Amino acid sequence: MKDPYETLGVAKTASADEIRTAYRKLAKKLHPDLNPGDKQAEERFKEVASANDLLSDPERRRRFDAGEIDASGAEKAPPNARYYRDYAAQGGNPYENHSAYGDFAQGDDLFADLLRRSAEQARRRPGADLHYELAVDFLDVVNGATKTITLPQGGTLNVTIPAGVEDGQILRLRGKGAPSPGEGPPGDALVQIVVTPHRHFTREGADILLDLPITVKEAALGAEVRTPTPTGSVMLKIPKRSNTGDVLRLRGKGVKTRGASGDERVKLKVMMPTDAEPELDAFLADWTPAGAYDPRKEM
Amino acid sequence: MITEREFLERARLDRRTLTIWIEEEWLIPARHADELSFTDMDLARANLISDLKDNMGVNREGLGVVLHLLDQMHALRRALATALESARDGRPSAKR
Repeated sequence: MKDPYETLGVAKTASADEIRTAYRKLAKKLHPDLNPGDKQAEERFKEVASANDLLSDPERRRRFDAGEIDASGAEKAPPNARYYRDYAAQGGNPYENHSAYGDFAQGDDLFADLLRRSAEQARRRPGADLHYELAVDFLDVVNGATKTITLPQGGTLNVTIPAGVEDGQILRLRGKGAPSPGEGPPGDALVQIVVTPHRHFTREGADILLDLPITVKEAALGAEVRTPTPTGSVMLKIPKRSNTGDVLRLRGKGVKTRGASGDERVKLKVMMPTDAEPELDAFLADWTPAGAYDPRKEM
Repeated sequence: MITEREFLERARLDRRTLTIWIEEEWLIPARHADELSFTDMDLARANLISDLKDNMGVNREGLGVVLHLLDQMHALRRALATALESARDGRPSAKR
């Protein structure tokens, strides 16, 4: 870290006015935005700016003179500050002004042509894309829906959610972004879908998964059980002697996307009654199984 | 996109100053239904204007001149870059 007095080119006894004058003189020469093509200008400007920060604050200047802080204590510029020139160089700069070479762009030689193109390109530049996030209920994603976004800058945006979009997917709405600063088309709205989970359903690709609790009696004797699907309830036939973990498939009740249609896979979960069942207890106490069924045979 | 409130805070400006800068067309934020919205570029430009005004003693009259010349210089730099690129590629005219 260089001596701040040396950096600004002033004497140690310089007055506040002299320091300000010296800083201004250097800043005008070195400011990166006034030297867009000079990579070193930024480094030198930072040195000058931090020297000025230190010496223009009487208390810090006093502490520096007394040796209490070193020159690096004056570092203030954030490390990755971006200057205007960094944006202006990227193109698509709405502030760009092409009048400086309007006269060169007359005529029909190679450079006139290039310059005309450059100006034309700037004029026809599309507006910026705008990013949004939209929370969508699980069922709306499965069945498809139309949602309305209220925009932070006012107005609304209608978003058609096609059936089967994935969590995190981005929908592009052409022409719904920011207007062009010139005469180009507007940008696009990019809407990221965030799916709100469902209490019962989950999704695996095009299939919907559901855990369905059934009673011991329904599992043992078979039954028809009302089962929710994304498009309403249906009666599901539980075969005799069903087990926890058995999966039944409801064809076509999954996610319908263009061309493909998934199933709903219902996983059974046999539930013991939670209330006391003396008759069931008595029956089981007297019951001798006919076969030698051992569920832990494989263990 | 940066809202007006966030912009004022990050650029350390008051609303009156911002209004003047917009009237002078030093800043041209996007406008949707009466609300202003700003880009990172607008923010960097606001910082540059503050630097010119507060640290380099450029006054209101001078600022308009400086910005006008800067905007022309950036257009020239890009036109020159395009021309050089085409010349290096040996193509008779730039695509895009």
